[in-house]
Amino acid sequence: MTRTFDLEVNGVAYPLTIDPGRSLLSVLRGEIGLTGTKEGCDDCECGACMVLIDGQPVNSCSLLAAQAEGRSVTTIEGIIDGDRLSEIQAGLLDEGGVQCGFCTPGMIISATALFARNPDPTPDEIRVGLSGNLCRCTGYGRIIEALAVDGVGRADRPAESGS
Amino acid sequence: MAIAAESIDRRPRLVRADGPEKVTGTALYTADLRMTGMLAAKFLFAEVAHARITRLDVSGARLVPGVFAVLTAADLPDVRYSAGVADRTLFARDVVRFEGEVVAAVAAVTDEAARRAIDAIIVDYEPLAIVDDPEAARADDAPLVHPHWADYESDPSLVRHGNVAAFSSIARGDVDAGMAQADVVVAGRYVADGSHAAPIEPRAVVARWEGEKVTIWTSSQVPFAARDGVCETLRLPTNRVRVIVPHLGGGFGGKCGFHFEPHVAALARAARRPVKLVFTRREEFIAPDRRRESMIIEITTGVNNDGTIVARRGHVILDNGAYIADAAFFPQLAAMHVAGPYVIPNIEISAELVYTNHQPSGSVRAPTAPQTTWARESHTDEVAAAVGLDPVEFRLLNAVDTAKIGPTGQTYDEIGLIECIRRAADSAGWGRPLPDDEAIGVAIGWWPSFPVASGAYVKLDSDGAGQIITGAQECGTGAVMTLRRLAADELGMQPDDFQIVGQDTAVAPYDVGATGSQTLFNNGRAVVAAAGQVAEQLRNLAADRLEASAADIVLDSGVAHVAGTPDRNVSIIELAAIAARGELLIGHGSGQPPATPEISGTTCVGDQGMAAWVAPQFSCHAVRVKLDRDTGVVRVLEVDAVHDSGTIINHLGAVGQVEGGVMMGVGQALSEGTVYGDGRQRNAALLEYKLQTAADSPTVRTQFVEIATEGAGPRGAKGLAEAPNVATAGAVANAIARLTGERLRRLPMTPERVWEVMG
Repeated sequence: MTRTFDLEVNGVAYPLTIDPGRSLLSVLRGEIGLTGTKEGCDDCECGACMVLIDGQPVNSCSLLAAQAEGRSVTTIEGIIDGDRLSEIQAGLLDEGGVQCGFCTPGMIISATALFARNPDPTPDEIRVGLSGNLCRCTGYGRIIEALAVDGVGRADRPAESGS
Repeated sequence: MAIAAESIDRRPRLVRADGPEKVTGTALYTADLRMTGMLAAKFLFAEVAHARITRLDVSGARLVPGVFAVLTAADLPDVRYSAGVADRTLFARDVVRFEGEVVAAVAAVTDEAARRAIDAIIVDYEPLAIVDDPEAARADDAPLVHPHWADYESDPSLVRHGNVAAFSSIARGDVDAGMAQADVVVAGRYVADGSHAAPIEPRAVVARWEGEKVTIWTSSQVPFAARDGVCETLRLPTNRVRVIVPHLGGGFGGKCGFHFEPHVAALARAARRPVKLVFTRREEFIAPDRRRESMIIEITTGVNNDGTIVARRGHVILDNGAYIADAAFFPQLAAMHVAGPYVIPNIEISAELVYTNHQPSGSVRAPTAPQTTWARESHTDEVAAAVGLDPVEFRLLNAVDTAKIGPTGQTYDEIGLIECIRRAADSAGWGRPLPDDEAIGVAIGWWPSFPVASGAYVKLDSDGAGQIITGAQECGTGAVMTLRRLAADELGMQPDDFQIVGQDTAVAPYDVGATGSQTLFNNGRAVVAAAGQVAEQLRNLAADRLEASAADIVLDSGVAHVAGTPDRNVSIIELAAIAARGELLIGHGSGQPPATPEISGTTCVGDQGMAAWVAPQFSCHAVRVKLDRDTGVVRVLEVDAVHDSGTIINHLGAVGQVEGGVMMGVGQALSEGTVYGDGRQRNAALLEYKLQTAADSPTVRTQFVEIATEGAGPRGAKGLAEAPNVATAGAVANAIARLTGERLRRLPMTPERVWEVMG
């Protein structure tokens, strides 16, 4: 038994015919080929698979792809604005908030959602806002520092800078 | 003698070269790879701690639609492997010795088909006595994990007997006389639970054969060791096995060694298709032979009333688990940490690595150090209290320092431990009044730098753009930054002028990988040597062009000029274009690793070369905690981490290493501990095995005492990746003890345990 529907991801409607039991995470990675969303536990504990659904941060392992039908899904690949990094992406890069990078996409999704509802969070609000995303490399310090820095003066810049 | 530290700190910070792809989601990790015709692999694990296989029937699995290959021990060469003791086979043969042992493997068109095939395998077990307690396992009549241990090939330097896989001791002076002479003798017994590396990326392996050659993409910290493991177990020459590591999602030691690359390569060969294995989180918890071992640590210290340590006796029991993996040197390393960075004239410390039916232990970030240091630094506060001394004063009095002789008879060049202690205490405000239920604890630590062989090539192409072709492995640590800086500085260029090509055993020279905090220390040396050859080529070309002596040519800011006359210059880009038409700009480098220092007066049984350390690193952590007396919950509020890791080449990256190591230490202190029942892990999931979150994260203030140690790595740099994970748990313990009064001698110091000692 399969189910056929369109799934909107990063503004693109993807026609799918899939087993209805498949998670959004599995479909994003396996069918649509957006592998920026990572699988760290498949158990809603690590946050590496976080995406935005209608702007809300959700662990994509926690729901079926079919449950996202008719809704707007944003993955890490949809966060970049053309060829410009978002302020959050640029900030993490500049302040050493990225090490191995595996938690980074989910972390950026959470931070994006946090700043959408609270543009000027305190360090403690940032700590709570990111508490659903495990990072084993950084100890969170540089990530919190990057996001706590006043983002106003941080101009968007080309994605390739720093490479 | 020390040489002056070159301050590299003031230069513009290095931004991660691999950062843009990581923040945009385009960085590919092993599990992200997909290939035409690729199959999914699944393993059948033992799921029992100790049993004899009485029946293994895979015929049903072969009948499942979509299955291309089913493998058991019967299908592969009968090779026993492991460093130190050859105690292990790829698949279980007759007996399973821990729950994560691989019994069979399948490859099928989908994950679902592979799962059905695994379910169709019939395996019957006859239960065997579970060896669950490493202390009891040493008894003469204890059931043996490896009844044929004496027949295994092993390193002759290892002292083994029965369930004791390796015994080591360090002795110097006369401990009995020292204890007899001491004014006060303090003894303690400390028990640490095991824990996990827990990288956020579960491991993945992809293998694809072309003819008689196999390419393996794997989430390994040590691609050359992974290759060698495949070659040893599948009996292949090294030039037919190519191991490539895509982006690596953290390791922390958990992805050292070789693990499942041979299984997947064998599946791909049998299936005649590319095969991909991706572990679930539970599999990541139970199956790898890299786990931080549980320990029982006993320490007795004799001290004079003036606070001088006179003698120390210690004994450590390390839970090795079912197979030795890379743990053969752990007993002596643990013994070194029980001694600690203190001047102690009389020591006698022994340690036993004991087989059990638990998951094998192995290198996890600073192996043996967090547990032993937690115990020793807890004990140190108890000893200080016994003679009425302040913990910081006691450490300043007894810590090793420049020109002093350490516990194993090593005399130190200029080192910065005393300065680390002073700065940490100052920054934390040691001695200041604190709010109710808050306290500061202090602990010190040390860790060796590991000198090993390593290699790199550096080339400049026709446009002057550089490439560093290196065996080094990046796992979030910082090779992508420091190696580029070193090459750039040799050539008067900028880090951004270089790309790193590596993580590919067919392309780059040998390197041991991201292990032992060794990349900058050893591969840095190789890159400097390789870049130095290119620099010499450039100087010769420039000398011709500028009609000067090569010895007078200076490479700086992208040009070669004659010393003293910057106007007589030619750009490196121009020189590269000239070279492209003649002798190409290619350097290769390795360099001789520094020699191990001599020690005096120390005798070791089961010596594994750990009693003397090249370029040792030192640290002091001061931790302020808050205790909730109703619940026993401890929160770490602030950490001052001061490190002597020699010269710091990349300050931002170094701070990141320290903060990450501290946070891992906080987890070990408070929440991370494996719970066993019937020899099996009862909390092999991230809900039950609690990592620290952003909400738990303290403010960490990092400082570096930069002393360029002669005979260390490039420019006097030592290692750094593991050192930050040494002292934190001990400092947390000492803070907790000041609040509870009673000392908690169990790790992790969970709320339940803290609450219990509060009475």
